[in-house]
Amino acid sequence: MVRFKSRYLLCEVCVSNPSDLRLLDERAVFFAVKAAVSRAHGDYGTALIGMCFSVKYLNAHTGVVFLRCRKSHYRMLWSALPFISSLESRGQRVPCFFNCLHVGGTIRTCQKFLIRYNTQQLHRLLPRCRSDSELVGYVGFHRAKLHCCRFVVQ
Amino acid sequence: MSDPGAVGGSVTYQRLVHKNSSGFHYMKVSLVFEKEGKRIDGAFFKQLIISALRNVYGEIGAAFPFDVLKFEEKSLTAVLRVYNSGLVKLWSALTLLGSYQNETCAVRVVQVLLPYQYTGGP
Repeated sequence: MVRFKSRYLLCEVCVSNPSDLRLLDERAVFFAVKAAVSRAHGDYGTALIGMCFSVKYLNAHTGVVFLRCRKSHYRMLWSALPFISSLESRGQRVPCFFNCLHVGGTIRTCQKFLIRYNTQQLHRLLPRCRSDSELVGYVGFHRAKLHCCRFVVQ
Repeated sequence: MSDPGAVGGSVTYQRLVHKNSSGFHYMKVSLVFEKEGKRIDGAFFKQLIISALRNVYGEIGAAFPFDVLKFEEKSLTAVLRVYNSGLVKLWSALTLLGSYQNETCAVRVVQVLLPYQYTGGP
């Protein structure tokens, strides 16, 4: 009937140094996104986002993040994401950028997209493997992503 | 709707409804400083408005064009032109402007006009 509709932005945090991913945590992403919205959309944007924005899920191994906000102003949040250039975590600045992969109405639709996307990425990367160790690395990485996807809904 | 039969009926009220086809709105505003006797120029005034917009609406939100058509330095009054979509943002930012470079000031919106009402006068 009448319910609060929200939008889930499925994003990937891309870092130049893969070992920096373990420094990611929800607080760092939350404050970085809030600061970016404040710069891009001012007091008006900060007030809108402050009401109902949250980091629903973060995977430090793969860099997948689910951001949740209201349906009425998810575009404001989306437009501010490209302006994030670094995250502040445990006293360290990690240079990164946010790549928004999908916008969905529920976590379940985002999860379905993520499974399809990872399968496509795997198919795209496998022909380029040059050695057995690379192959094992890719398959293990994407298996971890698929495993994490299934965890999200539970 | 004019009412000539009213008592003391020299006051008439007329309501015209026009659809704004040109897309602009014109605002007559006046700038008031707390300190009397402060003088600024047109470029400074435009920078003041842009900073007010940036504070309230951010870099992206303030990225719409507006023009300062006339600015009078003696009376600190100006005529601004803005697209219809930016009118609410500009008006609200001017209302919320409280100070600029540590000088307390305010912008009073005197009149908001449609293109056919604006004759080009001060």
